[in-house]
Amino acid sequence: MYEKSVTITSKHGIHTRPAALLVKEAKKYDCDVLVECNGKQASAKSLFKLQTLGLYHGVTVKVFAEGPQAELAVKNVSELIITLS
Amino acid sequence: MSTPGIVVSSGIAFGHSRILKQHDRELDYRVLPLAEVESEQTKLKDAIAQFVQLLSVGLSKLEPDSEHYLLIEADILFLEDEELLTQLLNTIREQQFAACVAVERVFAQQVNLLNAMEDPYLANRAQDVNCLRNRLIAAIHGSISHDLENVTKPTILLAKDLTPAEFALLPLDKIVGIVLKTGGLTSHTAILARSAGIPALLSCDFDDSLQNNQVMVIDALSGCLHVEPNTHDLETLERLKADDQLRKQQLQKFKHLPATTRDNVIIPLLANVGSLSEFSLLSDVGADGIGLFRTEFMLMNVSVMPTENTQYGLYCDALQLLDGKTLTIRTLDIGADKEVPCLTLPTEDNPALGVRGTRYFLAHPQLLKTQLRAILRAANHGKIRLMFPMINQVEELDCLFDLIEECKRELDNEERGFGELDYGIVVETPAAVMNLASMLPRLHFISIGTNDLTQYAMAADRTNPSLTKAYPSLSPAILKLIMMTIAESKQHGVPVSVCGELASNPKVAPILIGMGIDELSVNVNSLLELKSSFCSQDLSTYKKWAQDVLRLQRIEELNHYISHCS
Repeated sequence: MYEKSVTITSKHGIHTRPAALLVKEAKKYDCDVLVECNGKQASAKSLFKLQTLGLYHGVTVKVFAEGPQAELAVKNVSELIITLS
Repeated sequence: MSTPGIVVSSGIAFGHSRILKQHDRELDYRVLPLAEVESEQTKLKDAIAQFVQLLSVGLSKLEPDSEHYLLIEADILFLEDEELLTQLLNTIREQQFAACVAVERVFAQQVNLLNAMEDPYLANRAQDVNCLRNRLIAAIHGSISHDLENVTKPTILLAKDLTPAEFALLPLDKIVGIVLKTGGLTSHTAILARSAGIPALLSCDFDDSLQNNQVMVIDALSGCLHVEPNTHDLETLERLKADDQLRKQQLQKFKHLPATTRDNVIIPLLANVGSLSEFSLLSDVGADGIGLFRTEFMLMNVSVMPTENTQYGLYCDALQLLDGKTLTIRTLDIGADKEVPCLTLPTEDNPALGVRGTRYFLAHPQLLKTQLRAILRAANHGKIRLMFPMINQVEELDCLFDLIEECKRELDNEERGFGELDYGIVVETPAAVMNLASMLPRLHFISIGTNDLTQYAMAADRTNPSLTKAYPSLSPAILKLIMMTIAESKQHGVPVSVCGELASNPKVAPILIGMGIDELSVNVNSLLELKSSFCSQDLSTYKKWAQDVLRLQRIEELNHYISHCS
């Protein structure tokens, strides 16, 4: 299993548009990609679930994945979270 | 007949009504026979597919990566979400609900979760989810498309709500204005209407008996929908529209320019606003921020004081709409002369000299604390300047800062985030001017309210029509008070702004700058005109004008001088 913690820098948090970009990125990989925040977990491929995590500005989230392409998925998804605005 | 609404995109639009019927359907909550579970599940999947198909058609007409495109794409991702589908199908199977009821239940849960979000920007997404829910239920009933293809004449669209996707599908060459019953300034549809430059009113509770093809006018300058206006009103509105267009055209070149003198000295030019609606006008004029946000509007038409969370949401909306530009909030400035239904104010013989502004709230600290806590919490999301009205004495500041410390301690204990503020006062009494030396060390900025300062310096009630002569807008006395304020502030290195009517006067504003005022805050409608006024001369000329007027002793000399300097 691979994992990485990153902090959300997007000024208004991960709202609809950045969340959509995140989901599109996660869907590129075969493995399950999960995001953990405030003690809750959600699939990074589910906009429906991601919305409810409370991905505020300044919050630290853990991205983790297991299975094929997991390392690449974690790297790219976490990098995207940092760059989203 | 006319109905008020929130202006999200300014202008005036004439057209014929077209009403999007979105009946709230009665949902059938009966338990399904087991045999029908599968067909309801199929119905749901078909409806989602149909909805996604409709959105995809819209998507194909749009520029990838445009604002519309990303929002519609997000809608599609949401509808195609496997976790959502699983939950919906499970709800149908396990609880034996019809497809519509399952959608209602699952989306309602999502809306509740979103509404509970601390960050109002994220909480706002609840509205978008609600829109999707309504459309999905309509799709299950087989009535998703609105059939606006056959619209031929200029049309004003009225609806309960509108998703970004539906907005994108509108024939925008024919739709000249939009009126929605729901929505706020930061809803996606508001953003889209603004970027498309279509006059739009949101939160407009129009009459349900309205029909298609009625003549309607959206006055998205003052925030009003007119239904079948009479000839006289039509003429007035047409004139307003022509004026608005001409003015916008002439002053357009200043829109994206900062206010500068001819020799390119930049003058910070901010706006006075008294409602959230007016925020949408700021980008039309290129204001450097809000120099005076009058928060009293929150109290109009409400029977109870807005809660801390309501206020917090409002200030966060304001910060978001300003996108990093200065936000200056004035705490509630009410008094016996400004009646508000939710507070019982004492009847006084001399309301202007009575319990008003901060005086009232120091007597009712709980009410002020609600506002202070909301502002402190909002400051966690962006820089806020806070100023207090009707301050004369440093003791009043002591009390206010004690209250602020108390609020911070409470917020700390409750583990709620808050941010630091810049503090200022509205200088509006001669006593405040005299006492600046004791107050300035505790302040980050001050703003001169010239209307009240004149009223109190002249001891002339500005609402009394027989005192117009005794209440001159420009006088040697007011100029001297302004000059004293500037001199004292410079000694303490505190910037001074003017937020009264004088600053909005294109003849006087350059003189205020010449006197040494650091920043002006003016009516949104005066802003472009002021920009055009400032660039006519060099700063040195304005300084000379200031020296000249400060020597004049008579009001008529003053008026004569300013009408001839240009």
